[in-house]
Amino acid sequence: MRTRVTRVLSVTSVILAGALGLAGCAGGSSGSSSASGGGGSSSCFLTGATASTAPSPSAAGGKVTISFMEAMSGGTLKSSLAHLVSEFEAANPNITVQLQESPDYTTLEQNERDAVSAKKAPTIGQVYEGWAADYANSGVIDQLDSYLNQTQPSPLSGLYTGVANDQKLCDNHYYMWPFNKSLYVNFYNQNMLQQAGQTAPTTWDQFATVAKAVSKNGVTGITIDPGGPTAGATGGMVWLEILAQAFGTPVYDADGNPEFNSPAAIKAMQYLADLKKSGALATGKSYPGEAALGAQKGLFDLSSVAGYSYEQQTVGNKFTLGTENLPAGPAGPANQMNGTNVVIFSSATDAQKAAAWKFMQFLTTAQSQAYWASNTGYLPVTPAALPLMTAFTSKNPWMTVAAGALRTASGTAAVPWADKSQGELGTALTDVLENNVTPTDALNKAQTNAVADQKAAQ
Amino acid sequence: MTVSEHARANAPTATEPADGPARWSRRRRVARVLVSPTGYLFAAPALVIFAVFTIAPTIYTFYISLYKWNSLNVARSQYIGFANYQELFQENDFTTSALNSLVFVVATVVGGVILSLLIALLLQRGGRWVAASRVAVFTPYVTPLVATSIAWIWLLNQRFGLFNLVLSWVGVSGPNWLLSSTWAMPAVIAYSLWHEVGFTVIVFLGGLSVLSPELNEAARVDGVNRWQEFWYVTWPQLRPVTVFVITITTIISLQAFTQFYAMTQGGPGLSTTTISVLLYTEVTTRTGYGAAIAVVLFAITVVMTLIQRRTSRPSALAM
Repeated sequence: MRTRVTRVLSVTSVILAGALGLAGCAGGSSGSSSASGGGGSSSCFLTGATASTAPSPSAAGGKVTISFMEAMSGGTLKSSLAHLVSEFEAANPNITVQLQESPDYTTLEQNERDAVSAKKAPTIGQVYEGWAADYANSGVIDQLDSYLNQTQPSPLSGLYTGVANDQKLCDNHYYMWPFNKSLYVNFYNQNMLQQAGQTAPTTWDQFATVAKAVSKNGVTGITIDPGGPTAGATGGMVWLEILAQAFGTPVYDADGNPEFNSPAAIKAMQYLADLKKSGALATGKSYPGEAALGAQKGLFDLSSVAGYSYEQQTVGNKFTLGTENLPAGPAGPANQMNGTNVVIFSSATDAQKAAAWKFMQFLTTAQSQAYWASNTGYLPVTPAALPLMTAFTSKNPWMTVAAGALRTASGTAAVPWADKSQGELGTALTDVLENNVTPTDALNKAQTNAVADQKAAQ
Repeated sequence: MTVSEHARANAPTATEPADGPARWSRRRRVARVLVSPTGYLFAAPALVIFAVFTIAPTIYTFYISLYKWNSLNVARSQYIGFANYQELFQENDFTTSALNSLVFVVATVVGGVILSLLIALLLQRGGRWVAASRVAVFTPYVTPLVATSIAWIWLLNQRFGLFNLVLSWVGVSGPNWLLSSTWAMPAVIAYSLWHEVGFTVIVFLGGLSVLSPELNEAARVDGVNRWQEFWYVTWPQLRPVTVFVITITTIISLQAFTQFYAMTQGGPGLSTTTISVLLYTEVTTRTGYGAAIAVVLFAITVVMTLIQRRTSRPSALAM
């Protein structure tokens, strides 16, 4: 046995020594490049981003094929995107758009990273803001400032203000272009609300009052998933973030630094703790709010507007599903944009980049967005789309109101450490709601951990 | 020269042991290679696949673990030696996740062996429903982990779940299983045992079916009771099977990820964050650090396997 163990250890040593040798010989031992796009704020982490020059629009003159890595794989999303692509190709016969589909966003991110790593990046890809920040910092996506400057007025002027602001990173340069955006809305049981003699709340104080009023006989005002270390952004976590902003301070500052223990965040956490204490808030896993609403055991469910069809499916014909904008806080309305933007990968040829930019702009024309929003439930990123989709908005008046909120909404944190640090927030929320930790203690701990996550990711 | 002549020519002679057993053994190995070199040609495709898809990535993972690795732009990666490992052993997250892994492995290995042996002994007794019972026990093992994990989330739901409903019949108010720091890990362990035990039951049943009945009959003639018969006659004969079950369950448990990701996402807090979950959390944004976790997990698995191989030797089993 000793011989066998010795042999295994010897082989392992040889392997390790070989790997060490490889490491010693590695050419990539230099530090990170510091070529900066310039113009960023002093504490912006984007030290590795590089400026890009847009190709001339005429570069896309000949036959060109562009690839689009996306995750629009379910239900009407797939057919609607395919329809838009075929319309674009009909109008631009020299350009072919190849859709490279992933089943979900987690897989999409992995596929994009793998493709970039293997030096086989697509021409364009859907991204969350945090991914874009990481890509920009690694110098693998194009800065879009020069693309935007090619036309006057800037294409940004046609977008909702919140959507336009969401396209830049903390260095104040643009790296993304919008595609499918959504917001959080308040889904509720209209019949239950009327029976309780209440109306849809417009402030968070009213929300708490109504939630407490209906919470009896097995019904709970709202049920949330507080999330966990790897849960991504769950409904409960996002609600806490929105509340903190509505109470005065977002949980991330403009440079993406966590501000988890600000007075506003503590107040927001206390608000949720009070709801729980009074029996108006319950916790669960796997879309518990939607399930409780559908089972008529919950009054409200705060969720992305893109989930409207799922909510409606759960509710069926049991009652009328109400949809309203989120209530406002003392600091005014606050909401968090969901959905993705699109980036151009730097490895594409000039012809591909020019064609891709043309396609990206096509996706956000009023006509394209009207079609997209009417068929998918996502919000149009340009107000010019609304007059073209009256057939849809007359049946779904909430869409107009929700789209209007895109003027003030902000995107998810555009930092590479967003997912990990949001996990700390989810842990804090669970500690407060389930383990009786005080909001201040839980958020102080979350802040310490989030700062460590930030340092580790930089 | 024929193959057999070649083998004879290379076979050790009576004088060879004088060179020392190690050298003789080496010569015998060389002789074995020369007996049928074409055999290696047949094995080559499998060896190449194994080398390319298993050995090479393992070595590359160790290589990455020595860097502050930028997977998007490898040229920007920085060589930092063993700093990732240093950081790993200094961070509370790793210590906690290692302890969680230990708890999970011990619970699933010990619980799994006891439970599956018990079920196998019951099933071995036969009866009208034995075939249906075997199917019932084995079915969870072939169900997708993600799908059944989600089903268990609802079974464990505090308000609508079956478990708490049953507890309420006896006047107990059940906890919020998956959101409680105390109950989340036991809940995932219970799910894992439910899912995995079908396989180990079949392994034990296989072992029981080849046992010699004479020994048990002789013991019964000598007047042993059922427990003594199991402990002194049946159980010792099952030791090789038990060692196999322990080895395979340990490796599976160390690498368990899906049920944690689907049911608790490693929470609440870090209470169900195992090494595999931590690896997943870190690897996207801190690839080098994640690779270091993977190497440590690999090392732990190798050590556990070696220990179990050591204990499975016939001399050890004969104790």
